[in-house]
Amino acid sequence: MARFQEAAGKVSWTGLLVLAHFSYLLVGATIFQILEREAEINNRHHFQLEKLNFLANYTCLDGPALERFVQVILDAWERGVNPSGNSTNPSNWDFSSSFFFAGTVVTTIGYGNLSPSTVTGQVFCVFYALCGIPLNLVFLNQLGKCLTIHLGRLERGLLSLVPHKQSVEVLAVGLFVASGSLLFLVIPPLLFSYVEGWSYGEGFYYTFITLSTIGFGDYVVGTDPDKHYITVYRSLAGVWIIFALAWLALVLSMGSKLMESAMVLTRPGLRKQQAELEDGSSSGKLEEELGQRPAQSNI
Amino acid sequence: MYSAKSCLLLLGFLLFYVIYLLFGALVFSSIEGPVEERVRNDILTMQREFLNQTGINATALQDFLVKVFSANKYGVSVLQNSSVSSNWDLASSMFFANTLVTTVGYGHSTPLSDTGKAFSILYAVIGVPFTMLVLTASVQRLMYPLVYAPVALFQRSGLGPRPASTVHFALLLFVLALCFYVAPAFVFSTIEGSWSYLDAVYFCFMSLSTVGLGDFVPGEQPGQKHRSLYKVLVMGEYWARLLA
Repeated sequence: MARFQEAAGKVSWTGLLVLAHFSYLLVGATIFQILEREAEINNRHHFQLEKLNFLANYTCLDGPALERFVQVILDAWERGVNPSGNSTNPSNWDFSSSFFFAGTVVTTIGYGNLSPSTVTGQVFCVFYALCGIPLNLVFLNQLGKCLTIHLGRLERGLLSLVPHKQSVEVLAVGLFVASGSLLFLVIPPLLFSYVEGWSYGEGFYYTFITLSTIGFGDYVVGTDPDKHYITVYRSLAGVWIIFALAWLALVLSMGSKLMESAMVLTRPGLRKQQAELEDGSSSGKLEEELGQRPAQSNI
Repeated sequence: MYSAKSCLLLLGFLLFYVIYLLFGALVFSSIEGPVEERVRNDILTMQREFLNQTGINATALQDFLVKVFSANKYGVSVLQNSSVSSNWDLASSMFFANTLVTTVGYGHSTPLSDTGKAFSILYAVIGVPFTMLVLTASVQRLMYPLVYAPVALFQRSGLGPRPASTVHFALLLFVLALCFYVAPAFVFSTIEGSWSYLDAVYFCFMSLSTVGLGDFVPGEQPGQKHRSLYKVLVMGEYWARLLA
C-alpha cells in the first residue's frame, strides 16, 4: 500500500510534467500557425504572380519545362551550389568553409545550409559527430569551470567590499549575466547586421538561434555570395560561438536548476522520494516511512 | 593551484578541439569539394542550354532565380500550386515547435514574419530549459524499471554487482540501438520514397544528436500521405529516443 502510494506520487509528478510539456508544444503550435500561416500564404501568392509574369514574357516557355529546370536548380542550391553569380564563386567546401561546417556539426548547431551530399561524406559525418559532440561537451564543460572559477574570484573580491554573502552572490551572478549578455548577445548582432546587411532584429534572431544550437540555417554569417569577407571573419564568428555557448550553457543550467528547485519547493515530499530513488532498492524501511508520510499529507 | 591546473587542462582541450576541427575540415573538403565542383559545372551547362533553347534574357532568369531562392529559403514550396499542404498546419507547426524546444532546428520551415521570429525566441527561452527539465525528470522516473530492477534481477540470479551492471549496460545499449536506430531507420526508409536505408540511419543520428542539418526531414516529400499523423508519430518517436 505504501509503495503504491509512493509510486502513484512519482508517476503523477512526472506524468504531469510530460502533459504540461505536450500542452506547451500544442499552444506553441497554434500560436505559430496563427502568426505564420498568413505570411506563408502571402509569400506563395506573391511568388505565383512572379512566376506567371515571368512566363508571360516568354511565350515559347511552358510551365512544366520551367518547373523542371527550377527543380534541378533548387536541388543543387539546397546542397549549397549557388548558380547565380559567375563560376568564379568560391567553393562551399574550401578549407575554411569546411572548418566552419565541422564546427557547426560538433557544436550541434547544424545550420544545414551546407550538408554532405556524398554517401562517404554522410558516413564520415556520423562518426565525426559521434566523437566530436562529446569532445565539444567536455571542452565547454571545462571552459565553464574556468569561468566559474573567475566568477568565484569576483565574488571574493566583492565580498571584501560588501560583507553580506547573499547579496554578493546575487550581485556577482547579475554582473555575470549582464556582462555576458552585452558581450555575446547585444554587441555581436550589431556587428553582424553591419557586415551582412541585416536589420538588428534579424541579427539578434540569428544570434539567438545559433547560440541555442537550434541553428535553422535561414541566416548564416559569411554565406552571401555578393559580399566580400575578410578571411578571418568566419573564424572570429566561430570563436564567438564557442565562448558564447559556454556562457549560455552556464546561464541555462542556472535557469533550469532554478525551475527545478522551485518545483521541488512546492512539493516537499518529492525531495525525500527523489533521495530514495537515488539510493536504489537498498534503502531502509525507515526512509520509506519518512517519504510516505509527507506524500500522504500532500494528497 | 586548482585554477592553474584547471586552466592548463582547458588549454589542452582547446588544442585538441582545434586539431579535431582542422581534421574534420580536411576530410570534408576533400570528400565534398570535387563533387560540388562537378554539380556546379553541370548546373552551369544546363543553365546555358536552357537559355539557348528558350532565348530568355540571362539577367531576367537570374532575377527570377533569386526570387525562387528567397521564396524557397522560407520553406515555401514554389513549384506546386497553392493547393498543396501548408507548412503551418497544426501538425507541422507542432513539429516545428518540437524542433525548436529540442534545439534540433532542421530549418526546413522557418518563421517568416518578424512577430514569428520574436515569438520563436521567447518560446525557446522558456521551452529549452523546460524540455531539459522534463527529460531529466522522465529519466529519473524510468531509472527504476529500466536500470535498478533488471540489475537487481541479475544480482539475484547469482551475478556480482559489477558484472551485473556491465551485462545490463551492454544489453541495454544493444536493445536501444536496435529500437532507436535500426528499426526506425528501416521504417523511415520504407515510408520516405527517396531515402535509402543509410540515409535513414544518417537522419536518425543527426536528429538524435540535435545537430539537425535538415537535409533530410520526414514528411516533406510532395504527395506524402497522412502527413499530419506521420509528423505527430515522428515527434513521439523522437521523444522516446531522446529519453533513451
